[in-house]
Amino acid sequence: MEKRLIKKDALAGIAKKVAEEFLVWAPVKKEDNVLFEPLQKDGEPFFAYLNSKNAPKNVFFPHTEALMKFTRTEKGMVFSSDENKADSSVLFGVRPCDTHSFALLDKLFDQEKYQDAYYITKRQNTTVISIACVKPPYASCFCTSVDGAPVASEGADILLTDIGSDYLVELITPKGEKLAKYFGDAKADAAAETRKNEIAAKAIEAIKSKIPAHEVKPILDVNFDNPFWNTIHGKCLACGTCTYMCPTCHCFDISDEVKGGDGVRIRSWDSCMFPMFTKETSGHNPRVSQKERWRQRTMHKFKYYVDNFNAIACVGCGRCVMSCPVNIDIRKVVEDISKL
Amino acid sequence: MQNPYIPYPVVVDKIITEVDTKDIKTFRFKFVNPEDEAKYAYIPGQFGELSIYGKGESPIGIASSPTQKGYVEFTVQKAGVVTQALHEMEEGTLMGLRGPLGNSWPLEFLEGKNIVIVGGGFAFTTLRSLINYMIFGDNRKRFGNITVIYGARNPGLLLYKDELIEWQKRSDLNINVTVDKGDATWTGREGFVPAVCKDVAPSKENAVAVICGPPVMIRFTLPVFFDLGFSKENIITSLEMRMKCGIGKCGRCNVGNKYVCKDGPVFSLAELDKLTPEY
Ligand SMILES: Cc1cc2nc3c(=O)[nH]c(=O)nc-3n(C[C@H](O)[C@H](O)[C@H](O)COP(=O)(O)OP(=O)(O)OC[C@H]3O[C@@H](n4cnc5c(N)ncnc54)[C@H](O)[C@@H]3O)c2cc1C
Ligand code: SF4
Ligand code: SF4
Ligand code: FES
Repeated sequence: MEKRLIKKDALAGIAKKVAEEFLVWAPVKKEDNVLFEPLQKDGEPFFAYLNSKNAPKNVFFPHTEALMKFTRTEKGMVFSSDENKADSSVLFGVRPCDTHSFALLDKLFDQEKYQDAYYITKRQNTTVISIACVKPPYASCFCTSVDGAPVASEGADILLTDIGSDYLVELITPKGEKLAKYFGDAKADAAAETRKNEIAAKAIEAIKSKIPAHEVKPILDVNFDNPFWNTIHGKCLACGTCTYMCPTCHCFDISDEVKGGDGVRIRSWDSCMFPMFTKETSGHNPRVSQKERWRQRTMHKFKYYVDNFNAIACVGCGRCVMSCPVNIDIRKVVEDISKL
Repeated sequence: MQNPYIPYPVVVDKIITEVDTKDIKTFRFKFVNPEDEAKYAYIPGQFGELSIYGKGESPIGIASSPTQKGYVEFTVQKAGVVTQALHEMEEGTLMGLRGPLGNSWPLEFLEGKNIVIVGGGFAFTTLRSLINYMIFGDNRKRFGNITVIYGARNPGLLLYKDELIEWQKRSDLNINVTVDKGDATWTGREGFVPAVCKDVAPSKENAVAVICGPPVMIRFTLPVFFDLGFSKENIITSLEMRMKCGIGKCGRCNVGNKYVCKDGPVFSLAELDKLTPEY
């Protein structure tokens, strides 16, 4: 693997340079939030950020996207165009928990039998540059409990690690290597690598929030009917914030919009926390209350995904913990389950 | 990469009103591009997404059998937005069709066995597909005795009336059609499906029961088959859940760790026992 060093203050300039050739998604300041947005000509990336308010999954799986267009004819509405397209782009500066989420979403959207063309096209056309968390940004971060780490490269094409005055640049995949020209020609020496390993070990130490994420799987296997499920959802507002913020949540709705003679079929994020999510036309709803919906969310992340893909569908970013308006904490839920 | 969200263009070739109440119709579709028919190779028990641009999509079981060439049929009850729009359509209208989706009736497992088919109400559609498949030409030899028990609330609500008559004429089929309550012209059986099952009492020997119908029918029919000695491995059914993508992505239709759209809709009772009872 090709490894280089760049001066730390060179990073914003590199991002802007890349943006001359590709669409660059970078962290930018928006009011008091940091969000991943396309970097504008005179825009300034904000790499001193903790983590973005929203998960960057929207680059591959937008909140709302057109699937296809259709048009009216004398014989009814007919298909007019497939909207599956994506610009060559670079997602610049994602945290390792979020790149880990891409690897998890790949398992779902890029299966052998049913390939989700829209996700895959965007994913293929995007190079992911990750910036390691030398200091874990939040007290609520728990990536190390869910097979992640603050300095880790799963799901990334390039990993940048702050090793003091320089960033160590690791060009991990062939896609990452294609951007080599932007990262100067200073080859990284063995000392830089040693330094990175020390930093990575320290960063792992610094993650204090821990949950028994693996331990709960066998407990969930046999506790679908445990009365414990009555104890979580009491104050839940069914607002869906937790699932919208979550980098691994992938549920969506498909709907049609028509204006005059033309229309578009769109998909948009949906949430298992919404009562309507599973309600059938007959009025029957297999998940009758918020209790069942909270159980579904927990089971999906810590059991079903493990059954189906051998991976926990939580990367420990803590967004749901920080954003829930009524402070329901998935870490506590998992902790409690481990004691059942 | 084939884009699984894009429907095949189809034309509504024929509409058959199945029932007196007129809210169940069979729609026969032909593919606009003839080469799409081969791509739509399906197995009885699978479903499709009927796609009406501007209205949306509905998952509907395939009612025709793959042995019927040149078209695909779906029998649809008017329920909400999409199915209403479908019911208002005229022959010659263009629309879309996705699929075939889901697993299917387990044909290989059924081969060489005696087959008992139990259907109630309009859930008979994919069972009709299976029957027509099994009795087509040489296919018939691959299966043992075929017993069919099919019930509707009244004679006017029976689907596929012409076919029922044809099937009854065959000596290699044991057809039992029943209605909850007959009318002046009804000469056939009266009684609920579970009672008729008890009466017909199909043998469990080398037999598989394929059961599809409204929840109440299923609830009272299963004990009859347990009493007859059928094991849970040998009772097969099909589930319905609200669906969107039909391909295991949108997260809507899971029962435990299985997606009904992708891993189902067909499950044996033994398989369902391993899942959570959330459907
Ligand atoms: C595997 C399978 C096989 C089936 N086979 C058959 C069959 O053979 N024959 C048959 O008749 N039926 C069958 N059904 C049932 C059939 O799919 C439903 O009756 C049908 O989808 C109803 O659709 P609709 O558009 O008419 O109803 P609507 O209730 O109008 O729903 C249409 C869509 O609009 C959306 N929608 C509607 N209301 C709301 C709301 N308030 N909020 C948010 N979204 C909303 C939903 O996304 C819904 O999918 C089957 C179902 C499954 C899962
Ligand atoms: S469940 Fe919460 S902590 Fe885990 S990945 Fe989703 S938002 Fe982050
Ligand atoms: S964010 Fe909190 S209140 Fe909102 S749906 Fe999630 S758990 Fe419930
Ligand atoms: S319908 Fe989308 S997952 Fe089954």
